[in-house]
Amino acid sequence: MFFSNIHERIRFIFIISVIILIAIIIKVFYIQVFAYEKLNTLAESLWSRELPIKADRGLIVDRNGEILATNITTVSLVVVPGQIDNPEQVAKDLSTILKTDYQDMLKHVTKSTSIERIHPEGRALSYEIADKIDALGYDGVYLLKESKRYYPYETVLSHALGYVGIDNQGLSGLELYYDSYLTGSDGAIKYFSDGKGNKLELTEVYVAPTSGITLQLTIDINLQLAIENELDNAISKYDPKQALIVAMNPNTGEILGMASRPNFDSNNYQDYKTEIINRNLPIWMTYEPGSTFKIITLSAALEEQTINLFKDTFTDTGSINVDGATIHCWKSGGHGTQTMLEVVENSCNPGFVKIGQTLGTETLMNYIDKYGFGDKTGIDLNGESTGILFNVGDMGPVELATTSFGQGISVTPIQQVRAVSAAINGGKLYNPYIVGSFLESETNSLIKKNEPQMVRQVISEETSSLVRYALESVVANGSGKNAYIENYRVGGKTGTAQKVENGSYLDGNYILSFMGFLPADDPKIVVYVAIDNPKGVTQYGGVVSAPIARNVMLSAIDILNIEPSKDGMAKEYTWLDKKYSILPNVVGMSKEEASKVLKNYKIEYSGTGKTIIYQSPQADYYVAEGETIKLLLG
Amino acid sequence: MIYSASSIWATFKYNDAFKYVRQQTIFFFLGIVVMLFVSKINLQFLKKKANLILIICFLLLILVLIPGIGTVRNGSRSWFGIGGLGIQPSEFAKIGLIIFVSKYLAHNQKNMRDVKKGALPIFIIIGLFFLLIMLEPDFGTAMVMVLTLIALIFASGLKISFFIKLGILGLLGIIGLIIAAPYRMARIISFLNPWSDPLGSGYQIIQSLYAIGPGGLLGQGFLNSRQKHFYLPEPQTDFIFSIISEEFGFLGVLIVCGFFCFIFYRMLMIALKSNDLFQKYLAFGLAFGIFIQAALNLAVVVGLIPVTGVTLPFFSYGGSSLLISMISIGLVLNVSKK
Repeated sequence: MFFSNIHERIRFIFIISVIILIAIIIKVFYIQVFAYEKLNTLAESLWSRELPIKADRGLIVDRNGEILATNITTVSLVVVPGQIDNPEQVAKDLSTILKTDYQDMLKHVTKSTSIERIHPEGRALSYEIADKIDALGYDGVYLLKESKRYYPYETVLSHALGYVGIDNQGLSGLELYYDSYLTGSDGAIKYFSDGKGNKLELTEVYVAPTSGITLQLTIDINLQLAIENELDNAISKYDPKQALIVAMNPNTGEILGMASRPNFDSNNYQDYKTEIINRNLPIWMTYEPGSTFKIITLSAALEEQTINLFKDTFTDTGSINVDGATIHCWKSGGHGTQTMLEVVENSCNPGFVKIGQTLGTETLMNYIDKYGFGDKTGIDLNGESTGILFNVGDMGPVELATTSFGQGISVTPIQQVRAVSAAINGGKLYNPYIVGSFLESETNSLIKKNEPQMVRQVISEETSSLVRYALESVVANGSGKNAYIENYRVGGKTGTAQKVENGSYLDGNYILSFMGFLPADDPKIVVYVAIDNPKGVTQYGGVVSAPIARNVMLSAIDILNIEPSKDGMAKEYTWLDKKYSILPNVVGMSKEEASKVLKNYKIEYSGTGKTIIYQSPQADYYVAEGETIKLLLG
Repeated sequence: MIYSASSIWATFKYNDAFKYVRQQTIFFFLGIVVMLFVSKINLQFLKKKANLILIICFLLLILVLIPGIGTVRNGSRSWFGIGGLGIQPSEFAKIGLIIFVSKYLAHNQKNMRDVKKGALPIFIIIGLFFLLIMLEPDFGTAMVMVLTLIALIFASGLKISFFIKLGILGLLGIIGLIIAAPYRMARIISFLNPWSDPLGSGYQIIQSLYAIGPGGLLGQGFLNSRQKHFYLPEPQTDFIFSIISEEFGFLGVLIVCGFFCFIFYRMLMIALKSNDLFQKYLAFGLAFGIFIQAALNLAVVVGLIPVTGVTLPFFSYGGSSLLISMISIGLVLNVSKK
């Protein structure tokens, strides 16, 4: 055929063409199926733009969920310089409303940037000011909603809570320590934009911001409020230089309350001096602990059995000579001959020098070490101090003697609370902590828990029970009487420490302290009170600090539901004290019989009848003489 | 399809989403009329006037190069601006050459076995036209034209060895062109690795891949392309296939390829059935012209070959391109009637 050659070649070209077409189809298939993921991701990132949405900071709540730190919405000023027609006029009006410098404002509104934040004077504006700015109606002047940290209890627990900066970043206290937990992850509105940056009417992806984690503290706000209240009273009564109270659960190390004076309002921390806002006294302050430290010496001697609390005696002449140095007792003339228990009750310094001598330097320092002095307690707060101890090798008899009753060493309040807790809880040293749980912000479900951390067994259970007995006796019979609570078992130890400045003791300048716990047979709470340089009062811890600790413990009875007990030691009375005695049972008696039995009390009858069917208070409680007893007749 | 691809740009440039669609519709109906007309003209008359047509095309190609007469669009002086419309003489020259070469081949069928007597004169003419179009420059159209004519000459039965030599020569020529205009090198590099210069020479191909890739098997749906939103430049012309892939996915790609395969096959069947040598060559040349242009466009868009700048016949926006395609179809229809 004439055309056959041509036809053959045309068919050949057709086949080649089909092959080319198939190659193209394969390539498309490859792009759309195999490279799909990669290209789609790349393309998404090309198309999508993000508008950030700030995440809420995590809340801080007390052990019962009461909010201590939260977020409120505020208004911030933002300008878009490119949209402002008359920068001079805008700057003038804004600076007038915000009461700031005109030149600064002009710089803001003329800055060559797409969006300018008026920082910091335009942040967290009041609604009044925001309204005024809004009323100007200028183009390019915007008010943005922002989240601001708010502490509803203001000054309460301020040192522990800390505060945040203008960008909601934690700057101190728990806000700083747990900043990474409290800071949420910002969300965004992801929208698709065209090649010129305009928003496209396509699906928006809303990435919700994740709020920070909620911190649930071990603090009980009611107890904290009681503590704050006691400190306020102490300030107005004694005008001390500083004051602090720490309450801890001795069996776990949970801080139940802590506060100090001077304090500040976390909402307005800028208004306070840095040394006020930076010094969280319960963990920062270091000082000679004074007599509360005798608990440590006592427990060591009891554990080592170098003394017998009931049989050994010590005769105090008012001073003791140690290696040529004379150490005086606080009571001039001395306490005379005492059992060791009385040495503790009287807080007799020469007696404790003696106890220290029975232990020897190395043993005593070993116990001080095991009780955790000279080490940070590891509490979850910043700014903790270490304290200073004597170096064992450099200690002579005098250093041993003074250490025995709490002088010449330097400790922090939290170290003492931790150590005394171990001495009375059965000998277990627990690290204190203030955050109990980490909760998911929306559901409040538990993410993580801070468990009690036992460091070591310092003394035995038996020794600890002896220490409790001795300290209950201090409150019932000794220097701690002012902390006595009727029908409850309170243990404690007073402290009066002379302050040291530039290496010498200051005259008439004391830190008066009291370490109390309750109930004495099974402690649920340890309360430590320290008042620095109170004025116009006898400089004894038993006078100033013990009643404060008593009030805190009274509050704790209700808050922690501590049951009354009838097994406590009776208080030894002086002529000054009201006399308390055990109330007899009069139920079932006749009116006449009852009035005879209750001759030391006022009686208030109610109801009609001959026989008493109910009495208030109930029998067997300690009741002050002269109090009113209500009797129901029937 | 043009509406979907062009509306965003049209709105942006002319504030009229239907701007390109309206123009293309006008050309489409004009094209139908021209196609019907062309399908009825006497092909013998066309054969007789082939030389005249070629000379007119040649003169137009020279005219368009003169500043003031030809207008510059997208960096090429290849347009006659008439009102708002543009006409590319190179498109018409393509048809003119196909007609001329078909006639030449039909007359010199016996000489075609001899390279010097048969092929050389025609190559000189083709080379001249190629040169003129390259001066505009319009590399894409020149490529389509040369490849079509080579295929036509190949079909005529010229020795295979000649085409091998020609291939080597063409390769050398491409190298020469690259040396003459370094931007072509950038295009080749960007073809091999588009991400080497994502904002410059690799930009178009990356944007094209961003359109095709997310299309997936079934596409984003009609009108839902994202790449047409100012990412892909001129989505209604050279890169309309990207938008088709994006909106209709792999299925759409198969349909478009199937369409071209089908019309190519139909036109070749017409060529094979024709008893007149001139008409046979003519039908084949026109068929191949459409097909190779489509194939080149698709290969560019999917990243198989460097960016050349050819439109997709029937799909891309462009008056003269559509008109030429319609004329080609008309002529082939004419052939089929005999």
